[in-house]
Amino acid sequence: MTDASSPPPVSSGSTPRRGFLAKAASIVIGGFVALTPVVAGLLFILDPLRLGLDRLRIRKKPGGTGPGVGKEGFIKIGRIDSVPADGKPVKFTVIADRVDAWNTFPQEPIGAVYVRRADAGKFLCFSVICPHLGCSVDCVAGATKFHCPCHDSGFDLNGIRTNQTPPRDLDTLELDEEKFAVGELWVKYQTFRTGEAHKVVKS
Amino acid sequence: MKSFLNWLDSRTGFREVMHEALYERVPGGARWRYVWGSTLVFTFTVQMITGLFLWTAYSPSAQTAWESVYFIQHVMEFGWLVRGIHHFTAQAMIVLLALHLMQVIIDGAYKAPREVNFWLGLILMKIVLALSLTGYLLPWDQKGYWATQVATNIAGITPAVGGEVQKMAAGGLDYGHHTLTRFFALHAGFLPATLIAFLVLHIAVFRRHGIHTPDPKGRPDGMFWPDQILKDAVACLAVLMTVLVLVFYKGAELGAPADPSEAFSAARPEWYFLFLFQFLKYFKGDQEFIGAMVIPGAIMLVLFLMPLIARIKGGHVFNIGFMSVLLAGCLALTIIAIQEDAEDPSYAAAIAEAHHNAARVVELSQSPQGIGVSGAVNLLRNDPKTQGPKLFAKNCAVCHRYDGHDGTGKLVMETKDGKDVESVVTATDLGKFGSREWVKGLLTDFKKHFQETENASFKGEPLKDHFTGGDMASWSETNGTKLTTEEVDALTEFLVAQSGRPQSPLVDPMLVAKGKELFELGTDAVTDSCIGCHAMHALGDEKALEGGGNGPDLTGYGSEAWLKSFIGNPGSKDHYGDRNRMPGFAERLSEKEMQLLVDWMQHDWYEAPKDETASTTTAPATPAAPAAH
Repeated sequence: MTDASSPPPVSSGSTPRRGFLAKAASIVIGGFVALTPVVAGLLFILDPLRLGLDRLRIRKKPGGTGPGVGKEGFIKIGRIDSVPADGKPVKFTVIADRVDAWNTFPQEPIGAVYVRRADAGKFLCFSVICPHLGCSVDCVAGATKFHCPCHDSGFDLNGIRTNQTPPRDLDTLELDEEKFAVGELWVKYQTFRTGEAHKVVKS
Repeated sequence: MKSFLNWLDSRTGFREVMHEALYERVPGGARWRYVWGSTLVFTFTVQMITGLFLWTAYSPSAQTAWESVYFIQHVMEFGWLVRGIHHFTAQAMIVLLALHLMQVIIDGAYKAPREVNFWLGLILMKIVLALSLTGYLLPWDQKGYWATQVATNIAGITPAVGGEVQKMAAGGLDYGHHTLTRFFALHAGFLPATLIAFLVLHIAVFRRHGIHTPDPKGRPDGMFWPDQILKDAVACLAVLMTVLVLVFYKGAELGAPADPSEAFSAARPEWYFLFLFQFLKYFKGDQEFIGAMVIPGAIMLVLFLMPLIARIKGGHVFNIGFMSVLLAGCLALTIIAIQEDAEDPSYAAAIAEAHHNAARVVELSQSPQGIGVSGAVNLLRNDPKTQGPKLFAKNCAVCHRYDGHDGTGKLVMETKDGKDVESVVTATDLGKFGSREWVKGLLTDFKKHFQETENASFKGEPLKDHFTGGDMASWSETNGTKLTTEEVDALTEFLVAQSGRPQSPLVDPMLVAKGKELFELGTDAVTDSCIGCHAMHALGDEKALEGGGNGPDLTGYGSEAWLKSFIGNPGSKDHYGDRNRMPGFAERLSEKEMQLLVDWMQHDWYEAPKDETASTTTAPATPAAPAAH
């Protein structure tokens, strides 16, 4: 549509060096302006990967705050007299302040544990989370064993696996033995990575 | 590599497409004035990219929109950068749109055969403006909330269908969850999709007709690649740099969370809509429709008709003239709007309060209490530091002052003989209430402490020396000078300690004990001790001190319970009894309001620990500077 009288097109490559510089500069500048928002965005969505760098999140870590939280994040879950002497496991709900992104939920269930009296009156505490793929483990058949309804992981009452489905035994959790004296159960509630042969705390 | 590219070309024909796209002839050579279209495509691409990333963290609902944007802006890595780019690129787009339109009209590029493309461009402009408007609401802060209310209310005055249009936009009768979900769907779905469709058409038609050249003769033609692309890239770089400078030095603003119960007099649309805001001020009542719809509609109509007007002799000149007047008008209205605001002290105060609230809510969001399920708006509603001054201004500042102002930093004014003058103070300034300074004043110079009450009236009768000529005033006059500095300090310490609230510096227990002795027994010089008139059950004691009389009971003086009881009913027998001249507030304040007011008077509110405020702006101790002048 340009005028027929307009001069014939002149290629920018008439001086090859100038043409090359223009092309190189276009690519460099164009690449920079196009990549800037992309790089900013990628850094942004990598946010969940940072390792406790944020002071806010450390302060608000689940189980770290709220009433009923004792030394080093131990949480009170109940009384020892709720655990029968015959060795049957009892399920306790773990309640603590929970932080979900911007929200803080005070005193909310954040998980559950089994506690039982083993031989010699020793207390055992297990996470209900199956070490296989993270389903919730049931205590079945007259409370004689643990069984995961998802992929049939089986564990005996000491948490030892009874088949090869789970990669490791049930995860044990630490109880505060000093609190036994006052008849209370306090657990150091943690979650672990699933699907691995060794127990590794999620962080 | 080469054989791969050959294979790819044989299957896709990409070389021809690339050639077609890049080796467009630019008649008259590459020029800077052609960059505007490309910068618009660039800015739109930036908005798409940053918008998609923001989408991964944004949550559109009335309880989570502000909260998620706060989280993006203040907690997440590089959230401030992505949001900042999105925020300022949106504004850059408006500027670039105006420049593109100007260039097209001045160069006559809208004339035949490019009419359709001009119309497509105008539609694109409308879509970009709609994107700005919908995006402004999404953070759900006070500014966006109230400014967008105005926009949907304007839609509401459309004849015949206004109510329906408004309900459709808001997703109901009032703003709420569905306003956000609908605006978000528009902003991130419908509008960008429509924009892309029209942009494809716009560029296709543009390629069909090529670049319009006002003076093609005399200059050799150039090629789009790389001549024009280099200029385009440099222009995009300039735009990006401007945006980044704004992000780094200004940052995207986030106001306090939207609160329908909290009027926001600093509500203004984004700067590029200010001219409309100002324009509407000139249309009152039922004229509003003319200003909001008829005139803007007529202007849009003229813009659409421009290609046809240009066919008439002198039409092009008219179009340029029309555009110039339009731009000058917008500019003038924008300047007037900014000027009017700059001269309006109440606007300055509203802005100061908005900034204070915005900083305060971030501070509270990062407190251990955090944001509850009901959202961050409740953090401010339940914050004594934010609500106390307002309650004081509303209920107390008629008589009292707080460090000379009404609690919120404003002077208390009244109109006398047609002039605004500062109101006369008729009760004590409570800024130092409960402090050592306050108690010392009561003890040593009661008359001065209460002198403002001499200006007051009660049931039409001047109060005169009702308080300043009473027993306590004469006690203070007689004994104030007889007490040694140490004795005054001890009595002060004892009385201050009764509130049980933390003092700075901390209460000295030795001094308190000595003060208690003085309270009970007096000194050799001062034989009429406090207990002669004032009952007292000292903090921590099992039994009350023996004594008491007609004076107010000073048990728990200045404590939360004492303040609630006093403010609620100052005329009770424990307080001023029959001598009372202050109205009781037990009925006037709700329990929650009383608690907020008392907490505020006691400075009982959350403050971020000093070492953790590096990333947070801490609010100044006084909410706002006196702003009534």
